[in-house]
Amino acid sequence: MPKYFFHLRDKESLKDSFGVDLPGIAEARAHAESVAKELMFKRQGMLDSDWTKWTMTVEDPAGTELFSLKMSDLPSEKDDD
Amino acid sequence: MATHQTQADLGNQLLAALPPPALDLLRRDLKDVTLDQGRVLFEPGSPLDTIYFPHTGLISLLVLTRDGGAIETGTVGREGAVGLHGTLGPRMSFTRATAQIPGKFSVIPAARLSRLMDESSPIRALIQKYTEVLWAESQQATACNAAHDAAARLARWLLQSSDRIGSDHISLTQEFLAQMLGVRRTTVTLLAQALQTEGVIAYSRGQIHIVNRPALEARSCECYRVMKRDALMPSIGIRF
Repeated sequence: MPKYFFHLRDKESLKDSFGVDLPGIAEARAHAESVAKELMFKRQGMLDSDWTKWTMTVEDPAGTELFSLKMSDLPSEKDDD
Repeated sequence: MATHQTQADLGNQLLAALPPPALDLLRRDLKDVTLDQGRVLFEPGSPLDTIYFPHTGLISLLVLTRDGGAIETGTVGREGAVGLHGTLGPRMSFTRATAQIPGKFSVIPAARLSRLMDESSPIRALIQKYTEVLWAESQQATACNAAHDAAARLARWLLQSSDRIGSDHISLTQEFLAQMLGVRRTTVTLLAQALQTEGVIAYSRGQIHIVNRPALEARSCECYRVMKRDALMPSIGIRF
């Protein structure tokens, strides 16, 4: 299974140094959204910077960006479960 | 603030809270053991025939779900003991108890401790009060898991684990932290990165070092203070 890395970027960069093995890009996107929701649960932002500024970028082991998602585009706060 | 020195060979604060005559009585039957990481003390359904008093390690309690998951429901370190229900009579474990951080423990057969509780009122009183503390803590943890975000709960778990092993260096993998918090490992990685960027913790290869404890306390929910045994124990008459 390919490995995907999920980094967060704003002024600061938060690196996912471990990565996760997932079957494909669709699963990587679902994982990114789940992690984003877990991070945003009842929170305004990270490192004194609110969610509208943060972007999650997903990379392969070579560091090539596969896709990114803006945290502000995700529904905030337990809208779904 | 929190003092992390141990009393000679007696790292376990529950044992250390006993008056000397009661402790001497108990000590005759205590045996010292060392448990490696991952060592299983009890499986769900196995008899609670031994009581473990941690001096340095950390025991993790896990409820196993039908789909094969293991949900962390609590940890016990030097502030407590594992298996105490076994002193009520023949009892089965409800959880899997494993040594999450290896260390030194004192053990005693449950039946023997039960007899000592009959003989010694200080021993009985201490164990009853500790059981009350566990009950209160469990209620607080339930509320915390429902109400507070992963970042605040991560801070709480790191502080609690540090208190329970008596060290600011904690050997916990991010997989384990994710399991404790009920979130994905990636979420823990990013939260830990944020804490590291702020200079609150430093981590590498499964070793977490609390660099700035007041800052970590500020990032925790109130549950750390409420559940902190230093605060809870005196409230029911136990002083460390």
